[in-house]
Amino acid sequence: MRKKKCVAMLLAGGQGSRLGILTKKVAKPAVPFGGKFRIIDFPLSNCTNSSIDVVGVLTQYRPLELNSYIGSGSPWDLDLSNGGVFVLPPYQTGKTGEWYKGTANAIYQNIPFIEQWDPDYVLVLSGDHIYKMDYNAMLRAHIAKGADLTIAVREVPWEDASRFGILNTDENDRIVEFEEKPAHPKSNKASMGVYIFSWSKMRKYLELDEADPKSENDFGKNIIPAMLNAGESLYTYTFEGYWKDVGTIESLWESNMDLLTLPMPIDLADKRWRVYARNPGMPPHHIAKGAKVVNSLITEGCEVKGIVNHSVLFAGVTIDVGAEITDAVIMPGAIIERGAIVRRAIVAENAVIKAGAIVGEETGNIAVVGPGATIASGETVAAGVQIDADAQ
Amino acid sequence: MKDVMGLIVTGENDINLGELTSQRAVAALPIAGRYRVIDFQLSSMVHTGIKNVGIITQKNYSSLMDHVGSGREWDLHGKQGMVILPPFLTRENMGVYSGLLDALKSNTNFLSRSKQEYVVLTNSHTVYNIDFSDALRAHVEKKADITVLYSRNKASGVDDDDTYFTVDENNKVTGMEIGALAPKGDAASLKIYITKRELLRQLAEQGAANGLHDFERDILQRNINEGTLAVYGYEYDGIAWQIDSIQSYFNFNMALLDSEFRHNLFPTERPIYTKVRDDMPARYSGEAECDNSLIANGCHIEGTVINSILFRGVKVARGAVIKNSIVMQDAQIQEGAEIDHCILDKQSVIRRNGRLIAPAAYPIVIAKNVVI
Repeated sequence: MRKKKCVAMLLAGGQGSRLGILTKKVAKPAVPFGGKFRIIDFPLSNCTNSSIDVVGVLTQYRPLELNSYIGSGSPWDLDLSNGGVFVLPPYQTGKTGEWYKGTANAIYQNIPFIEQWDPDYVLVLSGDHIYKMDYNAMLRAHIAKGADLTIAVREVPWEDASRFGILNTDENDRIVEFEEKPAHPKSNKASMGVYIFSWSKMRKYLELDEADPKSENDFGKNIIPAMLNAGESLYTYTFEGYWKDVGTIESLWESNMDLLTLPMPIDLADKRWRVYARNPGMPPHHIAKGAKVVNSLITEGCEVKGIVNHSVLFAGVTIDVGAEITDAVIMPGAIIERGAIVRRAIVAENAVIKAGAIVGEETGNIAVVGPGATIASGETVAAGVQIDADAQ
Repeated sequence: MKDVMGLIVTGENDINLGELTSQRAVAALPIAGRYRVIDFQLSSMVHTGIKNVGIITQKNYSSLMDHVGSGREWDLHGKQGMVILPPFLTRENMGVYSGLLDALKSNTNFLSRSKQEYVVLTNSHTVYNIDFSDALRAHVEKKADITVLYSRNKASGVDDDDTYFTVDENNKVTGMEIGALAPKGDAASLKIYITKRELLRQLAEQGAANGLHDFERDILQRNINEGTLAVYGYEYDGIAWQIDSIQSYFNFNMALLDSEFRHNLFPTERPIYTKVRDDMPARYSGEAECDNSLIANGCHIEGTVINSILFRGVKVARGAVIKNSIVMQDAQIQEGAEIDHCILDKQSVIRRNGRLIAPAAYPIVIAKNVVI
């Protein structure tokens, strides 16, 4: 294999338990987003658009759907003879073999994978954010500063800063201190969980960390503090575009709703920076006579006969006559039958809302109908309630 | 059913499609909101299990090549995959074939090189979604030399002044009429044939040696009349819409607005594959109004769309009205403009407050990139 300047490692192994029923059977990066995407399309497309063409995807929790979604990597032009996307589950070595114990351990276990490409730099990504970012610009900054580790940050409102991992820097953006969720933040630079390491340094600290039995093998808790303590040069790189953590039901819903404002806070129609996705291959959607669709995103394969207001419809969704959808996210293949009402809700893949059922309320928390669940005729799902198909 | 290859012959006479095919082969004509005509033939072959497909091209094939690329979207990029067979310029052949037989003759090398026993030979202007496995089975069972697919379903889009077969109760073809005013047969030819690869090669070479060009007249009709080859029919009563005039193109697209027709052409188990464009979902603004229309991804709708088909990336500005029209990819209808019974080719623009109202019987075609 030919040498690569930079390879990306995408941490996709976490359960994402805050997404509740939506990640009961799939890993968080495989959760649908924005009408035709899945969360992982964003970091993968960023890699393609940043000319980073080796991406290791570290999987552990419920990987099947994610594996088949990634496939050969062709939707992202990552099916290459020299490079491409590689799904990396934990594996047995000799008599031992273990699960990924933490984010750092996941990379540690894949040192042989990284070494195959003899890279100078390793980009670490996670699969839980919606953003369009040029990693190459960040890499250039990393090289220009002569950094050992560069951490992408965004400036968050001061009142929110105590919810994030905050990086305190000097006037040259050199990191002097890292504080996880500080009660009294000294800076508003929040870590995005996007790191560029110089590989030789990264390898050294991964090995040191692995040798420490007390370590939790986590980048934020162990590797970054260890490098800071040793006086390595750590810098921030400020990212200014749209960035949203979609790790909770509320934030996933909000981020979908963000796409309905004009101009879109994250431009998904930009032809110079496409966000790629695997294509479901369905005919264009049909809006029937008497239907009404306003302020919404509708994807191919949908059949709309009812009313859709301020909502996001994924591929192959059916909205029958008299059904009313407002402020809702309806995932692929879901069916909303006659006269059903859906408000402030996420209806997951292949769920069925029977005639006259009511899901969600005008105010309050987001109601969620889980993948494949059925809401019987006339039933009601209150705000904030999650319906699990297995419990039915 | 793997022992079969496919051959798609493009570049047929398209004079009645006017402006729509002035720059492209009918196979590359955008259709049904996001497809090209050839997607239907290619996808049908793939769903039949065919892995080796040759596409015989003639003039204007650059947009066709651009569309099919390596064949990846149809999973035809493998070791066998898809082969584009451009015209082989020789002293005898200047790049335009004088008939199907002529086109086959120039590509007998491809036929000899292929390994499969049978070949499905199709035209490139008929829109269908057929699994050929049944027809192939019938072909083998009847020990036919050539099987011709035909339809008696007038609503399926078959051109009604074309070629008809007469078949007996055993589906053996006993007569064939080409362009008859009052045909005796009622089995309209779909111009899709199944035969052994080796037989097709021989027929093409013999035909050429005898100075023949026309597959229908010189091979099929002659052999049916003389009874030298066993020609059998296979009835297909699903959609097989011939796109051979502006009107048939318009009518086919409009027929898709009917849910039942649409579901028949796009059954979930046999999707039609096409080149992916990576557009985002269609966006509807607060003022959007939409009635009985097909809208592709990437559209941005702020105006009114009624009984129409919008391809990928079409922009309909505030106050614009589109009725009974077909609007191809990336066309723009600006503020206050109005169109009725129009076919807008790719990237065309109807400027602010422009009005183009055509009679139902004669839709207006606006050529690619034209600004009005």
